[in-house]
Amino acid sequence: MSQRESLHRPPSIGRRRLSPVLAGLVAGCVLASLAAVIGATAVAQRSPAGARAIFDATHLPPLLRLQGEPVRLTYDVHCALEGVDDPEQSCDVSGTIHLRSGRHDTFRAIPLEPASTADRRELTVTVPANVASSREGFEYYAELREVGGAGPILVPGGGADAPHRSLPLPDPTEVDLGVHTFGSTARGMRVVSAPWGDGVSNVGLEPGRALPAIGASAFDVDDDGSVLLLDEAHGRVLRWGPTGTGPSSVQLSIDRRLADMALDDDGSIYVLESVAAQERTPLVRHFDALGRALRSVETAEPGPSQLRRGPRGPVVLQQPSHQWMPVAETGTPTAAPDQARRAQVGRPLRTGGEVVVLRRADEILVALVSNGRVRESWRVTSETALAEVQLAEPLGRRLVLVFRTYTDATGEFVVLALDRRGVATQFSTPTDEWAEAAPLGRFRISGRHLYRLGSDGSGAFVERYDMGAPS
Amino acid sequence: MRATRSFVVGFILGVGLVAVGSAGAYHTRFVADNCNSAPPTPTSFITREGSATVALRARFEGYQWAGGCWNDNDRDDSPNDPHEDAATGGEGGDCSGFTFKVWRESLTTSDASFRQWGMLRYVHGPYTAASFKAGTGAPNVTVAKASLIKMDALASYGHIGLIYATNPDGTDRIIEAKGEDYGTDIWTRAYRGNPSYSGVRRTGWSS
Repeated sequence: MSQRESLHRPPSIGRRRLSPVLAGLVAGCVLASLAAVIGATAVAQRSPAGARAIFDATHLPPLLRLQGEPVRLTYDVHCALEGVDDPEQSCDVSGTIHLRSGRHDTFRAIPLEPASTADRRELTVTVPANVASSREGFEYYAELREVGGAGPILVPGGGADAPHRSLPLPDPTEVDLGVHTFGSTARGMRVVSAPWGDGVSNVGLEPGRALPAIGASAFDVDDDGSVLLLDEAHGRVLRWGPTGTGPSSVQLSIDRRLADMALDDDGSIYVLESVAAQERTPLVRHFDALGRALRSVETAEPGPSQLRRGPRGPVVLQQPSHQWMPVAETGTPTAAPDQARRAQVGRPLRTGGEVVVLRRADEILVALVSNGRVRESWRVTSETALAEVQLAEPLGRRLVLVFRTYTDATGEFVVLALDRRGVATQFSTPTDEWAEAAPLGRFRISGRHLYRLGSDGSGAFVERYDMGAPS
Repeated sequence: MRATRSFVVGFILGVGLVAVGSAGAYHTRFVADNCNSAPPTPTSFITREGSATVALRARFEGYQWAGGCWNDNDRDDSPNDPHEDAATGGEGGDCSGFTFKVWRESLTTSDASFRQWGMLRYVHGPYTAASFKAGTGAPNVTVAKASLIKMDALASYGHIGLIYATNPDGTDRIIEAKGEDYGTDIWTRAYRGNPSYSGVRRTGWSS
């Protein structure tokens, strides 16, 4: 058919062709609509309105304590029956604590008793004096159950394989900080600046008008001083060289939400995501230095909060147990059950041993532990309120401790370099948290430097502080 | 042959059109299909434990800006809602609507009594995160952050979360409706020492 002919005949051809097209269109719409209705009904039927059963427990483990202190273990248990809408109608719970002196004795079962508080459902036990006074400390785990119903659940999840441990500090070095003076903060050398935006040198803010500013949620520093900033909103890391050159960009296949990150010795990158798929736990993803996805593994527990390099691979602080767990060794992921079985209360250090931290009221107890025994310990007290411990890590013969002190109106980070005599170095830094980042992702140590991640209305930055030559 | 091909093309087009339309509509159907306007049940007392139960039942149920209705099937029935639209009718509360229901408050800001709202009752309540932060309303007071305990809140001008537990390192486990991409869950946060956040407490807990 010539072009001329086609121009003369379109109406009749159009009508002839349109009829089957229209018929198909109608049939397709009808069938798809039917399928949608059936599907929607099915979805609605899968969405029960009734209340599900709840069985959960929280526990604040006394990881460290002063010698001679009495110890009371308390479990706040949440239990609600399926189909019961009244939240004040909870179920009866019971529990047993399995307790032993040191690390090798046989566990002894002691029943937990209900506490007398009316507004919480607590089970509690006082640790027998002969166990509490053990110089090697004690280990324990709880078995909690709903009477005639769900359970038992183990707290921590690793049970006898990876119990909680409480260590006495026989002679901690005392550090009394008194009242904190706000407003005398130290600025480090700014080694990285990345404005907010979508360009090649920018870092992004996560989308959502109702969402607080979240962006540049974590960073890490290579052994050579290169800084890698996680730009999760753009699904990438930006890398600045040791002399500040850059950034170069490495795309990562991540979920683009708040995450922590850690570099491995070979330059590969681990990213700890914070949001899990339905009925799963968050992922730790592993990428090579070029951003190629290697492997991923789910965390053992639903609330991981921190990712660091350990002696044989990355380790993750997981909640609710508040235990450190290996998530990979020499590049091979550690399955979730094995993570739980190998959990420990202290952060395993690349140099060997572990560091254990406990903040309670207005004091911080911190200990370097080797083979289950406290090697060095400190007790830091303050007349100004203390919030989270951001970092506790050896640097030479010192321990660098970074924590937040605050009032209702302000807050600062306090940096201490501690030795056997007390404080060797002390200064404060601003918090600079215009944008939310990973809760414990703001500080890193590399070489003799402390690095701090901050942000303001113009962008994210990393500042470097010289901590002096390791002694 | 040509007619058959045309029919198939039309059929595919029809299915496609419905699919596109349904995809848009799917995220707006949760409230319309599931939620109600039932009155709350007045209760004579509330406990922190009971409010934790209310909060735990909203866990995993998604987030909806300006929303306040959810079921308890442990999944977000309207995932991937648009970020920029408060009227998409999806499952879940936003941070302040979630807090309002967990604290079992009244729609009348001068009323500090206790109201048990059903999970599927679509209600946000009269407070924003900023008004909670200011302690607005008869049931709400600001308190020193260092004295906050379970089911007290940390509120900024743009967000509010409830304390579920405190960790040994001094962080808190916060149960919160965080955002469309996050849903409602428990996360470790460092809100307590952040100057943007203030301590807020619901008054009248039984003890």
